[in-house]
Amino acid sequence: MADELGTLECRDLTKAFGGIPVLKGISLSLAPGTITALAGENGAGKSTLMKIASGQYRPDSGEVLVRGERLPSGNPQAAYRLGVAIVPQELASVLEMTVYENIFIGRELSGPFGLRRRAMIESARQILHVFGVDIEPTRRMGSLPVGLRQIVEIVKATNTGARVILLDEPSSAIAEREVGKLIEVMRTLRDRGVALLFTTHKMEEMRALADRVLVLRDGELVLDEALRNLTDDDIVTAMIGRELEGLFPALPEPGTEAVLEIDNLHVSGAAAPLSLTVRRGEIVGLAGLVGAGRTELLETVFGIRKSTAGSIRVKGTTIKGGTPAAAIAARMAFVPEDRKGAGAVLSMSVLDNATLPRMDKFSVGGLLRQGFRRSQVREAMDAVKLRSRGLDQSMETLSGGNQQKVVLARWLTSPVDVLILDEPTRGVDVGARSEIYRIIVDLAEQGMAVVMASSDMPEILSLSHRALVLRNGIIAGELDSEQLAHPGVQDTIFRLASGLEGIESSDPDPADPSTNNQKDN
Amino acid sequence: MTITQDTTRRFSAKWLQDLAVRYAMVIVMVLIISFFLYRSARFGTVDNVVTILIAAAPFALIALGQTLVILTGGIDLSVGSIIALSAMSGALTAKTFPDRVWLALLVAVAVGLIAGSINGLVVSIINVPPFIATLGMLTLASGLAFVVGGGAPINGLPAAYGQIANTEIFGLTIPVILMIVSIVGFGILMKRTAYGMRVYAVGGNRLAAEIAGVKTGRILFSVYAISGALAGLSGIMLSSRVISGSPNLGQGYELDAIAAVVIGGASLLGGRGTIWGTALGLLLIQTLNNGLDILTVPAYWQDVIKGMLIVTAVAVDVWASKRPV
Repeated sequence: MADELGTLECRDLTKAFGGIPVLKGISLSLAPGTITALAGENGAGKSTLMKIASGQYRPDSGEVLVRGERLPSGNPQAAYRLGVAIVPQELASVLEMTVYENIFIGRELSGPFGLRRRAMIESARQILHVFGVDIEPTRRMGSLPVGLRQIVEIVKATNTGARVILLDEPSSAIAEREVGKLIEVMRTLRDRGVALLFTTHKMEEMRALADRVLVLRDGELVLDEALRNLTDDDIVTAMIGRELEGLFPALPEPGTEAVLEIDNLHVSGAAAPLSLTVRRGEIVGLAGLVGAGRTELLETVFGIRKSTAGSIRVKGTTIKGGTPAAAIAARMAFVPEDRKGAGAVLSMSVLDNATLPRMDKFSVGGLLRQGFRRSQVREAMDAVKLRSRGLDQSMETLSGGNQQKVVLARWLTSPVDVLILDEPTRGVDVGARSEIYRIIVDLAEQGMAVVMASSDMPEILSLSHRALVLRNGIIAGELDSEQLAHPGVQDTIFRLASGLEGIESSDPDPADPSTNNQKDN
Repeated sequence: MTITQDTTRRFSAKWLQDLAVRYAMVIVMVLIISFFLYRSARFGTVDNVVTILIAAAPFALIALGQTLVILTGGIDLSVGSIIALSAMSGALTAKTFPDRVWLALLVAVAVGLIAGSINGLVVSIINVPPFIATLGMLTLASGLAFVVGGGAPINGLPAAYGQIANTEIFGLTIPVILMIVSIVGFGILMKRTAYGMRVYAVGGNRLAAEIAGVKTGRILFSVYAISGALAGLSGIMLSSRVISGSPNLGQGYELDAIAAVVIGGASLLGGRGTIWGTALGLLLIQTLNNGLDILTVPAYWQDVIKGMLIVTAVAVDVWASKRPV
């Protein structure tokens, strides 16, 4: 693919960390006005490649050319000047500042009397409007949902005159509906002649956006092809290097015994109290838009947020205290949505992270039982096939999928009755994803009651015995396994989640299960 | 779990470089010691080593407490003032009850513990930033120290008061023994116990620790309480050494303690650092003080050198940790 018109060209890039090769000679070229998807499992080298292309990392060998000009390696400022912008997975916006201030950071408009705020606000409004997002530019960045912040970041990148935009998992943190907006924004950019490269784990996004697909595997470029010539299987096979038979395992039959009983729980911010019963071995999926109150509900159940009224029972015993420690004592386990912010202590080792929730078990009179915890943790990590350089490896050097396995498996060194999962596969690659699904199903089969919030539609459809759609903190609809298998179900869920199917609609719609599923409210 | 065995890294130039970075502090220490040994015959004598240890002891106690606080991402600015307050309280007790010197020791430690606990409560329950909370305590305790003595030092203390710090066992004074025991004790506490791991977890990511069931408020409270109690202990030792109580005792010690912790490789953001590093940082500062004294370097220049050392140590650390591993 030696394209003469390449806006961005990488030539034979190699990079190793601590003697371990991460990129083994990558060459690629991005043409203006194209969208290229960069796929690959976690740890395949996608982020490293992006960081080299945007000047953050220095390659061990090889070079990056931007419109024919050589990018001085390891110099993000130079990359910026040459028109290469990166939108990182963890957004770099200043939450305390307003939208327009974020857009103009570093290139503020100023006149003889200081900052020209009005001009900046007006100009920000126009730029946002071009991309079809009408956010008030004076809003505080922190008050926006993550999806909109992401779009502001992209808009900011184009506003700086970027000709090449690299997006690291742009959709990993945002809800389904916001993805649509993101897709529009990216298409607008393509039409304006910008070369876009984005990493993703989602086939539907590649289909919706990409002109071309690159697949990295173990630091090598194993696929570089126009999307129209590829089937989904081609891409998945290239990513994992083997055939993938069914991403989702078959669901075992749930039991009858109620394990988790939530009774009239008041969740702050919710429109009404909520009740929910989850049986032994049952996986209940929680669908909904961002801000629907899924995370708030889960965090309240686990005692991270305080509840003013209502009760939570595990196997008939009411949990008192409303703290995570009390929830853990009641044999609950929680895998939070924000892995880096809430799931793991990145500065600590795999072993220590895995010890943390089971401190009582792993210490005697305050002293840690070194050999015992090591063998127990190793067993738990082996069970989820953790790929690491040993239990003493620091969490921050693990790939996202492997971090997630640690955050999940660390609960398994003691019996768990209720497993609460918030976006269990966010930012996790296909290979690790199917493994995590298998683990979840295994755990359900062992008798855990599982509650899983997810923005990934296939996950809700194929991994839940029953799905609840949340809106404003209340259950807007419930779908059983039969309804979940219905072909039009995605549309139903979307309509329930977005409130298009209001309570006032009195015409019974045969495809709409909300009319006969209000019993949980 | 797949464990990647990587044999190529051993015995290469890169391996040597990694080693040099990891033990940079030890190497610097060895260089400094060698330099002083070469320049002065007195430096290497047993007497002088004991002198260094005696000077280090009161700092060691507060530096250990400070390490715990800094590991949680906080800072304790009040330890210097707590030293003064507890020294004055101890001296006053000894003057009032000359027969019961042990009571002075108890009172001093209790005063430190109370002051530290107040810091802990303000930080963990009211969520006042540690810098502010302990800055307030710095001023408050310093004021109280003057109140206790009516604005003057407390002298004319019983001889037994001096025995607290000046008694020798195997040629080492009590504060030195206390220092060694504390370093080993805290080393074990931080590395081998559930408590130590919780402290690291709270500093590394408070929310994640909370979700894993750690009672983070209690951990935060405890580190300030421990830091205060250790400052109390340090105060009585300092006061006993000179058999008097002065409200100016310990002034500015908090900064030396923080310097020792930071030179020892701890991050002020929390979650990173070791007791071993702090001990090394402490000995480095004290060795430097002592050696420069012996070489009769003017005190002002000593400060200049110390200042450069602090920044260099941290700069090396930042540079080293930025390198991909």
